[in-house]
Amino acid sequence: MPDAWRDKLIDRIANTAATTGAWGYRLGSGESAEATALAVLALSACGRHESLRLNGLKWLATIQGDDGGVPIGSTVPGPCWSTGLAVLAWGDRDDDLSAGFDTNVSAATSWLLSTRGSPIAHDARLFGHDTMLRGWSWVPDTHSWVEPTSYAILALRDVDRASHPHVREGVRLLLDRALPEGGWNYGNTRVLDNVLRPFPATSGIALTALAGEPHSELIDRGIGYLQETLPRVRSPLSVSWGLIGLTAWGARPAEGGAWLAESAARSLHRPANVVYDAMLLLAGAETNRLSHRSNRG
Amino acid sequence: MNDEPQVRTSDGSRSGWLPSRREVLGLGGALALGGGIAGALSWHQRHESGLRSRVFIGRADHYEADIESVLSEAFGALGITAAEIKGKRILLKPNLVETARGALHINTHPRVVAAAVETFRRFGAGEILVAEGQGHRRDSWLVLEESGMDGALADARVPFVDLNHDGFGVVPNGGGATPFATLCIPDTVRTADWVVSLPKMKTHHWAGITCAMKNMFGIMPGTVYGWPKNLLHWAGIPESIVDINKTVPTALSIVDGIVGMEGDGPIMGSPKAAGCLLVGRNAAAIDATCARVMGLNPYGVSYLTAASGRLGPIHEENIVQCGATISSVRAQFDIVDVPHLESVRGRSSGNA
Repeated sequence: MPDAWRDKLIDRIANTAATTGAWGYRLGSGESAEATALAVLALSACGRHESLRLNGLKWLATIQGDDGGVPIGSTVPGPCWSTGLAVLAWGDRDDDLSAGFDTNVSAATSWLLSTRGSPIAHDARLFGHDTMLRGWSWVPDTHSWVEPTSYAILALRDVDRASHPHVREGVRLLLDRALPEGGWNYGNTRVLDNVLRPFPATSGIALTALAGEPHSELIDRGIGYLQETLPRVRSPLSVSWGLIGLTAWGARPAEGGAWLAESAARSLHRPANVVYDAMLLLAGAETNRLSHRSNRG
Repeated sequence: MNDEPQVRTSDGSRSGWLPSRREVLGLGGALALGGGIAGALSWHQRHESGLRSRVFIGRADHYEADIESVLSEAFGALGITAAEIKGKRILLKPNLVETARGALHINTHPRVVAAAVETFRRFGAGEILVAEGQGHRRDSWLVLEESGMDGALADARVPFVDLNHDGFGVVPNGGGATPFATLCIPDTVRTADWVVSLPKMKTHHWAGITCAMKNMFGIMPGTVYGWPKNLLHWAGIPESIVDINKTVPTALSIVDGIVGMEGDGPIMGSPKAAGCLLVGRNAAAIDATCARVMGLNPYGVSYLTAASGRLGPIHEENIVQCGATISSVRAQFDIVDVPHLESVRGRSSGNA
C-alpha cells in the first residue's frame, strides 16, 4: 500500500475508536455496529491495528442479542440489519483474531436465516418489482430492500449457506430489483408510470452480493451503469462500493486507484466519517472481505 | 418507502389523533351529498376553534431574485424579531430526498437555503446548521454535490449534518397516531432551539402534496427507519406525518415554491414554476396554503385533515394571509391520475 492517503485514513480510523472498542459514524455520533464492522474489516484488509480490531469484534459481541441479531447500536435492541456486516467482521478466516467468535457467527447466522422481509400484495399498476419475493428488510416486518438483502447474502455466502433457499430467493429479489437500463437504487424499479433512477453505491453493493452468480444481461447492465457513472463520481461511499462491485465481476477500471486517491484526498479535508474512510480502504485493498469472499461464492 | 402502497385513509381506530371513521365518513358523506365544501368547512371550523396562524406569501420569479429580502419581509410580517432569534441554535432542514444531476426541481434550491442562513445570521442566530436525512440515498456527499448544496453551504460557512447517521435519543411519541410509543430523534434535532422546515413545493404520488410537514420525514434516521423511511410508510404516511410533527414541532417553515414539482412527485415529476416563497410559523397552515397555491384541495389531503385542529388550522378563515395573495401566485399543479388522489384534485374555496 504505497499511497500516503491509506496511512492517513488508517490513522484517522484508529484515532476515532471509542474506549468501548466501538466506532461511531463520526466523532460524537454514538456507537454504531455498521461503522464498527466496516472499520474492523478495513483495518483487517490493511493488516493494521490488531488490538483495535479485537476490541471492535468484542464490542460487536457484547451488543449481540439473545436471538443472534446484532442491533445498530448499543442503546436500542434493534433493528438488526447490521447482523450481516458483523458476521463478515467476526468470520474472517484469514485473521487469527476471529477464532474466538464462532459462537457469535453461528447465532448471527441463525438470526439471518430466521428473519426475512415481508411480502406485500402485488399490484402491477403501482410497482414494477415482484413484491412477493422475500429478501431482508431494514426493519422487522417491513418490505425487503436492496442493501439489507445484499448484506445478508454476503454473510450467508461467507458461512457457506449460499445454497439455502432464503439466499436463493434473495438473489432472485436482487435481480428482480435491477433497473431496466442498468443498476440499482434502494430497491424500487418502477412506481406508477415512471422507472426510477439508479444510484452508484447501491449498484455496487448489489453487484458485490451477486458475485458468483451466473452472468446475465442484468449484471452486464449494472456493470455498464457503474462504468459510465463512476468516472464523474468522487464521493467516498459511491466510488468505493462502485469499485468493489466492479472488482467482484472482474471489471475494475484501470483508473480506479486514481479515483480512490482523489476521493480520499477530498475526504481528508473534511471531518472524519468512519464508514467513508473504511470503504475507501476496503476498495483500495488487494483483497477485502466483501468482494474477496463473494468471488469464492 | 416512498414507494409502497401504504397510503391509508385514516380510520382513527388506533388513537384519538386522527378523525374517527365516523367523522371521516361524515365528511365524505357531506361532500357526496352536496354539502360539498360547506360541509367540509363546518367540520374543520369545529375542530379549529380559536386557532389562528399567519402565512406570508412572497413573490420571487426566479432564483436570481433577492430571496433574502423576501425572507426579511416575511419575518417582519410574522413578527419574528432579532430578540427572538438572538443566540439560538437554528437547524435548517431542506428537502434533499434524492438527487439527479441537472434536476434542481427535486430538492430545495441552494439559493433558498443560503438566503435563510443569511437571514437568521442577520437576526443574530448563535449557530446555524443545515441538516437532512435523505429518504432514498445514503450517500450524503453525492446528494450535496448533485444538488449544488455543497458549494452553497461552503459559501455560507455553515456545516451540514447527516441526520441518517447522527446519534439519536428515544423520546415519547407526542402524537399517538401510529402504533409507535416512542420515536428515535437525532441528537442534532433534539438540541436545536429552532427547527425550520425548508421544503420544496411538490406533489406527492401517495400523500397528495409534500411541503413543510412531510419534509419532516427527513429528520428520522434511516439507520432506524430504513431507506426509504420504510417503517414510517408501513405505519401510515398521514399518521407518521402527524406523529413526527407533533413530537418535533417546527418553529418556522419556508417553502421553496419558486420552481416546484408537479405530476409524479416527489422525485419523478416535472418542474412547475409558482414564483413564490411561503413562510409561516405553523406547518399545517403553511401546507394548507401551499395546496391552495397549487390549485389542490387541502381537505383531500389526509394528513392535513388529521392535522386540522390538532397541529394547526387548515381552514382559510383561520389563516391570516399576508404578502401576496393566493390568487396572484396560484399555479395549477398536475397530480397523477390515481384513485387515492381523487380527493386532492380540485380547489378548495379560494380567498382571492
